[in-house]
Amino acid sequence: MSRILHSLDWLLLAGLLCLAALGMLVLYAAVHQGDTGLWYKQAVYWGIGMVVFLTLCLTPLRILGLACWPIYGIVLLLLMLVPLIGDVHMGARRWLDLGIANIQPSEIMKWALVFVLANWFASREARGSVEIIAPLLLAAIPAGLIVIQPDLGTTLVLLFAATAMIIAAGLPWRLLALAASAAIASLPVLWHFMHHYQKQRVLTLLDPQSDPLGAGYHVIQSTIAIGSGGLLGKGFLQGTQDRLHFLPEQHTDFIFSVLAEEGGFIAVTLLLALYALLIYRILIIGHRAHNRFGSMLCIGVAAIFTLYITVNIGMVSGLFPVVGLPLPFISYGGSALVTMLGALGLVMRVAIESRDSIPWQRPSSPLA
Amino acid sequence: MHNKLFEIRQRFDVRMFILYATVPLLLGLLLFQIMRLQWFDHEKYMLQSEQNRLNLVPLLPVRGEITDAHGKKLAINRIAYRVSLIPERIGHPDQILDVLAAMLAWSPAKRARIRKRILRARRPDRPVLVDDKLHWNQVAPLAARLHHLPGVDVTAGSFRQYPYGELTSHLIGYLSLSREHDIDAGYLPTEFIGRTGVERSFESILHGHPGYQREEVDSRGRRVAVLQRTAPIMGKQIQLALDVDVQQAASDAVGNRTGAVVVMDVHTGAIIAMLSKPGYNTNLFITGLESQQWQAWLDNPEKPLLNRATQAAYPPASTFKLVTAMAGLQHGARLARGHTFCPGYLQFADRRLRCWKRSGHGRMTLHSALVQSCDVYFYKLGDQLGMAAISDEAHEWGLGEKTRIDLPPEARGIIPTHRPYMMAAIKDSQTKRKKWFRGETMITAIGQGALTVTPLQMARLAAAIANGGDILKPQILANQPADILHHVDIRPQDLHKIQQAMRGVVTEPHGTARRVLSHAAWAAAGKTGTAQVVKMSQHDNKKISKTDLLRRNKDHAWFMGYAPYKKPQIAIAVFIEHGGHGGSAAGPVAAAVINAMARKQVAMAAH
Repeated sequence: MSRILHSLDWLLLAGLLCLAALGMLVLYAAVHQGDTGLWYKQAVYWGIGMVVFLTLCLTPLRILGLACWPIYGIVLLLLMLVPLIGDVHMGARRWLDLGIANIQPSEIMKWALVFVLANWFASREARGSVEIIAPLLLAAIPAGLIVIQPDLGTTLVLLFAATAMIIAAGLPWRLLALAASAAIASLPVLWHFMHHYQKQRVLTLLDPQSDPLGAGYHVIQSTIAIGSGGLLGKGFLQGTQDRLHFLPEQHTDFIFSVLAEEGGFIAVTLLLALYALLIYRILIIGHRAHNRFGSMLCIGVAAIFTLYITVNIGMVSGLFPVVGLPLPFISYGGSALVTMLGALGLVMRVAIESRDSIPWQRPSSPLA
Repeated sequence: MHNKLFEIRQRFDVRMFILYATVPLLLGLLLFQIMRLQWFDHEKYMLQSEQNRLNLVPLLPVRGEITDAHGKKLAINRIAYRVSLIPERIGHPDQILDVLAAMLAWSPAKRARIRKRILRARRPDRPVLVDDKLHWNQVAPLAARLHHLPGVDVTAGSFRQYPYGELTSHLIGYLSLSREHDIDAGYLPTEFIGRTGVERSFESILHGHPGYQREEVDSRGRRVAVLQRTAPIMGKQIQLALDVDVQQAASDAVGNRTGAVVVMDVHTGAIIAMLSKPGYNTNLFITGLESQQWQAWLDNPEKPLLNRATQAAYPPASTFKLVTAMAGLQHGARLARGHTFCPGYLQFADRRLRCWKRSGHGRMTLHSALVQSCDVYFYKLGDQLGMAAISDEAHEWGLGEKTRIDLPPEARGIIPTHRPYMMAAIKDSQTKRKKWFRGETMITAIGQGALTVTPLQMARLAAAIANGGDILKPQILANQPADILHHVDIRPQDLHKIQQAMRGVVTEPHGTARRVLSHAAWAAAGKTGTAQVVKMSQHDNKKISKTDLLRRNKDHAWFMGYAPYKKPQIAIAVFIEHGGHGGSAAGPVAAAVINAMARKQVAMAAH
């Protein structure tokens, strides 16, 4: 046990706890005039999440290595069921009623994909045709199923994580260049297949004032909130945009604007510093990992976090279209928080196992 | 093998560095965007946030009430309720509309109209007015259930009401919503502004000043807090000199004839009654005047919108003989102190000027000529005086001059003269002649011809004769001190002769108003007038029916005078358009006014 404590990545843990504190503070500011019950619920989710985190810290990675394929298979199956028997919620068919609980298979899929890709690249590089095409298919099939739900955010997460992992797995540069140009060329095609509301969001981003009370309303109000925060912010619980309900979904996807309005640039910098610390620790753990499965796992997790943060803050500040992704550890929401803490638990496990076996020496080969 | 593993390890390191480098790139992009918003554009967003948050709500002042001399309300403010709803917040409109329709007793057509308005609302986040001008009884059940009806709101406002309606329409006037030039002048678009009558003249007193309330609002526009409040300055109440009971008595006496009555305090010039008939219902303006009604008023040949007491001038007829008589006395005309014989006509050159009494009045002095209104006497007196003396006298007594009453616009009337400049004016405008004929002076001396005066001028003339020659500014407000515009320099004994003659009109056997005024409650003095009307044939105006034409060919009737004779209190001018003979048509109205005044004073004394 002392060995485990010794091998924990304390910086990562400290960063996580700071995020927890900041997140609860901002959530309080966001809900203190409305449903304060959400704040207590979120505290409970943190508790549950930490239990999951610790459990996975103590679970050998071998087990995940064995379980990843069945998990992927089952989730893919559920994903296929969604268009057939899923529940429609807010215009999109994402939810599946399993009798005991409603689940969103797409939410689990991003983690399952990271697991199988990590497993796939644990013993090979992305340098042969099979080695490249197989992971591409592993990512493309669920991505295709999710984009028709439609859920652009999750699709982006899936593709981004897969891309990061394939690059890390040694994809040849020329193939990378080819893929990049193909992706850019396919943008018009993607536009063609996008839903009306998705197109609207993109168009609104280009000119938010074109529809100030419709699609542009969210972005206008959140940029006003952020911009009016200034350097030092309006003060804790003093944000008028937030307090007077100009901000939509201020405790979930748009919670960043509450932080930026009340805490100003200082708070934003602090948050981004904490995120940087988190992501770098995950990448460093992945870099130092003693086996490639662990490395790839960390890279996938880091990629997902990075995309969440970038897309969420970019959306709230008017940089990207409105895509529903939560801000990790800050947005209200139980399942997202618990799964992210679980992912961090796996990363921590990678750190533990890397020091556990040969704590004093760097491995000579990641393929060992 | 070892080399291959090393190569793989090296490649992995390179790829990791790429990932390491990607993270600050993305986070840096975010940081840059946030910096842009919070640093460079901070001021702009701060302003927008304030605009979001703050709402400047005008607080309208309540308009001052108008009462008569005895405190009776002539213009009051009533509370009205309006129902509005915010389409965005009501969910499905039909459900709410069913409730509202049941509670506010809407007809199916009205419900359909409102439903359309809601569905068509361009800004579903802004309130749509669905019903207006409701009484508390109507909205009370709705207000009690408001919390069950999200998005529905009941608000109160005030509107003007005139309890006496038509009776006071011309004097009090009406309001209407501010127009573009009013808004330029600083009024708010939701304010009502006095357009005519007292409402217009005393607008600055009655209106008050709007206040403001700086409110913090939420994204629904709902008030969260009041940050700053400047209370409106309420309009001040004003009390008129008008006695609405006297006004009513005059109105009853005029009946449905067309005409005007002015009653004035002889000492202060206070307007005790000012009536113009037909009137119009000023209450219709406030509840949103139908354009059809407005057009009907405009098209009505009786011109109900015209205030005949001040805005219309008519030939004064025989009442003007008082002016000629006073000019005669002032200038020491031979005839004014002597006498002449009236055979019923005056032969003048090749024309024969008739007296109204064909059989003739016989021997006439100034006194008897006024009492019996002998035309021949005044033809001769006018001829002796000349037009200049007559018109100077008329101007001296305030005829052909604006009375300066606070009730614009006011007609001036016309007093012809033979002076060159005056002739030029006449030449240009009407007759195209260069020469003033003697006969015209003679016609003018009995009050016919180009001469016109307003009933208000006539009442003021009566007041001046009663009070010893003070030309007063007519006062609309109560308890105003007398404003003597000027004093007519007339010898008291001359004025007394005129007063005696006016008394004789009422008391003497041949007095033109004897039958109608000798039994009035107060001893009255006065002068009648019967203005000849240029006869119209049906050919001239096909729009007018034959019976109407007969009525229109009747003469205008005048009575002006004062009472009581010994201690004068009120001056009266009565004008009845196409009323017929002055004594019989206008005299009874004066009697009714005097009786009403007397009753009032007895009642006040008993009180």
